[in-house]
Parts: sequence; structure tokens; C-alpha cells
Amino acid sequence: MELQEKITILSGAARYDASCASSGSNREGSAGGTGNTSQGGICHSWADDGRCISLLKILLSNDCRYDCAYCVNRSSNPVPRASFTAREVVDLTMEFYRRNYIEGLFLSSAVNVSPDHTMEEMVRVAEMLRNEERFGGYIHLKIIPGSSPELVRRAGLAADRISVNIELPSSESLQRLAPQKKKEAILAPMKLIGAEAGVSLVERRKSRKAPRFAPAGQSTQMIIGASPETDLQILQLSQGLYRKMNLKRVYYSAFVPVNEDNRLPVLSAPPLLREHRLYQADWLLRFYGFSPEEILSDDAPNLDESFDPKTAWALRHPEFFPVEINRADYAALLRVPGIGVVSAKRIIAARRFAPVTHEGMKKIGVVMKRAKYFITCSGRPFDKIDQQPARLRQRLLLGEGSEPKQPRQLVLPGLG
Amino acid sequence: MNHYLYDGTPEGLVSAIAAILDSGDDPEAAHLAVRQDTLFEEGLFLRTDSAAAEALFARLRERAPDAVQTLWYFTMAETSELETSLLRYIALAFEHGDRVNGYLTHGDVKAVVATARKAGRELHRMKGLLRFEQLRDGTWLARMEPDHNVIQPLARHFSRRLRAQEWFIYDARRHSAAHWDGHALSFGTLEQFSRPELSPEEQEVQQLWQTFFKTIAIPERKNPRLQQSNMPAKYWKYLTEKQGE
Ligand code: SF4
Repeated sequence: MELQEKITILSGAARYDASCASSGSNREGSAGGTGNTSQGGICHSWADDGRCISLLKILLSNDCRYDCAYCVNRSSNPVPRASFTAREVVDLTMEFYRRNYIEGLFLSSAVNVSPDHTMEEMVRVAEMLRNEERFGGYIHLKIIPGSSPELVRRAGLAADRISVNIELPSSESLQRLAPQKKKEAILAPMKLIGAEAGVSLVERRKSRKAPRFAPAGQSTQMIIGASPETDLQILQLSQGLYRKMNLKRVYYSAFVPVNEDNRLPVLSAPPLLREHRLYQADWLLRFYGFSPEEILSDDAPNLDESFDPKTAWALRHPEFFPVEINRADYAALLRVPGIGVVSAKRIIAARRFAPVTHEGMKKIGVVMKRAKYFITCSGRPFDKIDQQPARLRQRLLLGEGSEPKQPRQLVLPGLG
Repeated sequence: MNHYLYDGTPEGLVSAIAAILDSGDDPEAAHLAVRQDTLFEEGLFLRTDSAAAEALFARLRERAPDAVQTLWYFTMAETSELETSLLRYIALAFEHGDRVNGYLTHGDVKAVVATARKAGRELHRMKGLLRFEQLRDGTWLARMEPDHNVIQPLARHFSRRLRAQEWFIYDARRHSAAHWDGHALSFGTLEQFSRPELSPEEQEVQQLWQTFFKTIAIPERKNPRLQQSNMPAKYWKYLTEKQGE
């Protein structure tokens, strides 16, 4: 099969994967080798759907033995199949990298022959890149559930990031929709990765020469809307993954029905808005100091469609507002709808010089559309703003639009 | 208001600022602009003094390293409008140190920081969008026409990243070039330029990339507006994946 055709099949099959960021690693290249990684991540292009292209995102193979209900590549589907050799992926990565098309490689795969067989080939790609090509760019490897601990270890030593897809938000759903994947086969490598990464950090504090294990950490991905879990359950699961498993990112994929299957719900459209709200809530967990129970409760276990989770929280907590811009601490500023990490930092930097006025807020670049309802500047509320909590909800909805933004990404059930 | 003039070079600008600060004149009441040599022009012309420019840089680096970075990015914008703002910004940087970059409620600080940020954004963007092509002799060439004069920091970035290959970066707008020979960087200008012939494999690899670029997009989610706002059309000229569009 021609290389062109393989790329078409195997990047087409990978395009629904969400986890394609290349940031969080800082790898200095070796002398004479090619490539390094940059902390912030770099976009090299933007695809026709507007998403950033940073990595050569591709499957090693889509020739799957398993039959997960939600996946295009399941064995019972009649789709064209293809597999790369390890050499082909290595060459493609190097040719693309030398031309500055990419930051590196994101390699995933269907379960071809067996988990270990597939994982071994994937690890070989990463090891050839590092050892033969002396490649210092970014590598993200997906771990195939059920592969042996030794292969997981080798993957972690060669890659910047490794990830195991949790696939579905509960083990019952996993059992029902992906019966060949066992919960233990997913959690065991996650734990192993967490432990190895921890050991590596300790060792490297003692000696800079100690090997690095997945320096950009591990992430995971789960499908939203193919199974009955509530948003509260999902956020609690994510919180657990961040806290106990030390994950860097949890990615959410709105379920896209690609197969006829009576185990799957019938949806008129993929739940993109829900996916978007989950990303917003996840952001609140990671950077804003919220807990899942602050965002949702057993009485209201699902995220509000009309309001982003921070605004929804603010509306339920009128006693917290207004926040005084010139006195509130960082954490309190972050609770104001419309004030993000950047704005909060800028406010704190600017008010050292002089009290920040409403004019000043605009100057430093804070978007006041929503914030103005929730703040005072030196005791003064924004012009003629009615801060009556009862009317706020309505104003935010009807007023200067709290229209939900276009959901950012569509993501299809996980591969690999 | 005291009016001052300088010769329009980045060095002249920095040395003029040094002279004004040394004179003890109040920066908030001074005005600095490029000399236009018109009849009606008023102001004291300040001669370029490299040593004074160097000395100012050195002192500022001690006092406010982030502000030096901002100043450097500001000069990449090659603007000749904000000299007075820059003068006041530097005076404030000496007064407050690096905290000055947070003083965005001050109009001049805001103007300088915003200009520098814009230059920084384009530099970051070019790190991703620059495309190297392999030439027949095995060396590599990347062409660009950025709005800001980013070639120096950009070349430094690639001297770390693509250090195993010999390459050139050519800024067609400024006719300037950078060369990495595998060991050292050098900069110069090229008045005459035509692209040499490409290596035999180049076409094939470019096609593989174009195929990848097309297939990685989700067909049901085509969004040309989002694509263009992230990757403005002015950059497409040299983008391999945008050829033939
Ligand atoms: S999700 Fe992975 S394992 Fe399941 S069918 Fe798809 S490719 Fe195979």
C-alpha cells in the first residue's frame, strides 16, 4: 500500500482524538541531534476545522481485534484497514520535523494482534526516534490497555507524555460497551505510570543524570454521553484522577454515533455543549480552586446549559458579591465571572501603582461584559448596574448575551 | 514640553532616551520623535551615541530584566510613533523595576507593552509557521515576510531545534537572512534572491504533509473563519499546506 493511502486511513482514524497538546515538557536536545521541546507548546498549523495542529497525530494501525460499541474501527465494521511499520512512522516524523511541520509525534493504535504486540511496535517507534535518530522533539504514546508493565515502563522512558484512556466514566459502562477492556487493565498502567513518574522525580532531585519518566505527565480521555453518568459523577471521577493519580489532563469527548448498536443511546446530535461545559468545569477544578461539590450537587447533578459553570456558581452565591477589585485576594478575584487567570494577575499588578477604576479595568484588558455585575472598584459599582440578584439571571441571559460560545471541539470515541 | 529629535535608528532611539534621562528633564513633559528634516520642525537633535545606548541597556538589565525584554521586542515592531511613550516607559522602569509591566493603567506603559506583546506573538507564531524546504545541495531554506523584524530570535530558536542540518532563513520583506552552518549563526542581507532548486524528495514529502493536513480536519466541522483567525491569510504564501488554494 502506498504511503499516501496509509496516511489518509491512519490520520483520518486519529482525527477525533482530543488529546493533542504538546506542552508541559522541556527537553533540551542533545548536541548533534534534532529537536527540542518548548514549555508552552507551539501550533504549527490550523486544520480546516480550525483546530491547532501541533503533532503528527496518527494510528500505528486501525486493524482492531476488539469490538467496542462506540468505535469506528471496531472489528465488526467494514472499514479499510492499514498498518504502518515502525520504520515508516519514524521516517515520517523526522521528515516532517526537519521541515518544521510539527512539534513531534502523537502515536496511538487499535489493538492489532494483541495488546503486547501493538505496544511493542509503538515503543519501538519511540525508541528508534530517541536512540537512532537522536530525536529530541515531543513524543506522546497511548498505552494499549492490557499491555505488560515492562512495555509501559519502556514507553514512559522514551516518551514525553503517555496516556491510558479511561474510555467511559464508570466500570459498569465499560463492561457494557467495551467488554474486552477490563477496568483493571486501564487502572493498572495508570497507577504504574504515576508511581514510576514519582520515583523518577525523586531520583532526578538527587542526580540530573537519572532517567526521566514521561516528563510531561499522563493524561486520559473519556467519552461523554454514550452512558448514563451525571456530570457530577464525571467531575468527581476527574477530581480523583487529578488528586490521586496525579494526571495532568482529563479530556472529554462528546459521543458521536458512528455505529448502529442497541447498547448505545440515540442522539440527535453529539453533546458538544455538554462537552464544552465539562471542559469549563474541569478548568475550574484545576486552576480556580473549585471542588466538584461546589459546582454541582445531588439535587442538580448536571451542568447548566445556559450559563458557564462559574457564572452559574456566582448566581447561586449572591452573598459572595460584589467583589471589591482593589482589595480582594487572587482567589476571590478568580471567582468573578469574566475574570480569568490573566485578568486577575493584571489587576493585582496594576493596583500596586494606583487603585484600579472601571476605566482602568478596560485599559488592562478585562472584559467587563459579565464582570461588571459582580464587582465594585473602590466601593463604586459599575454605572447604573442593578446588582439585585433576582434580576441578574435574567439580565445575563437576555442582556448583553451570555450566549454559549461555539463549542470548541468535536471528539469521537477513543481509539486504542 | 521639550521637543527632542533622533535619526530614526533603533540605536539612535535608545541613545536619545539615555541623553534625555541623563539631562534630568521630566520625561512626562518631554517629547521625542524622528527627525523629518522639514522646515518647520522644532526640537533639539540628539546625535546617536552607541556607547550611551549600550550603557543604558546595561543599566536597565540590572534594574529591570523583563523591561529589557519588552524593549527588545518593541524594537522588532520597527514603529516610529511611540518614542515618547517608550521614553516614559523606560523612566518608569528605572523607578519601579520589573513591576512596570503591570502598570497597564498608565497609557504609555500600556502602549509599549502592547506593541511588544504583538511582536512577541508574531515571533511565537513564526516558530510554528516557518517552513523549511530541502534544496538540491542538501541544505534547507525557509522564506517569510513577517510584519515584525523577528529574524534574530527566530533563528536562535531554530539553532537549538534544527541544529543537525544546515539552513537559511530569508526575510523577503527586509531582504535579510540568517544562516546556520551546523555550529554557528550568522546574519546578513541579500539584495538579489531567487529560490534555488529543490531536492528530488522534497515534492513527495510536501505531498504527504498536504495529505495529512487535509485528513486530520473533521469534515463535519469545517470552520474556515476560525482557521483564518488563527492563521491569517498573509502567512499562507509560504505554507506548504496552503499551496494551490
Ligand atoms: S476503541 Fe480501540 S480497542 Fe476499541 S474497537 Fe476502537 S480501536 Fe479497537
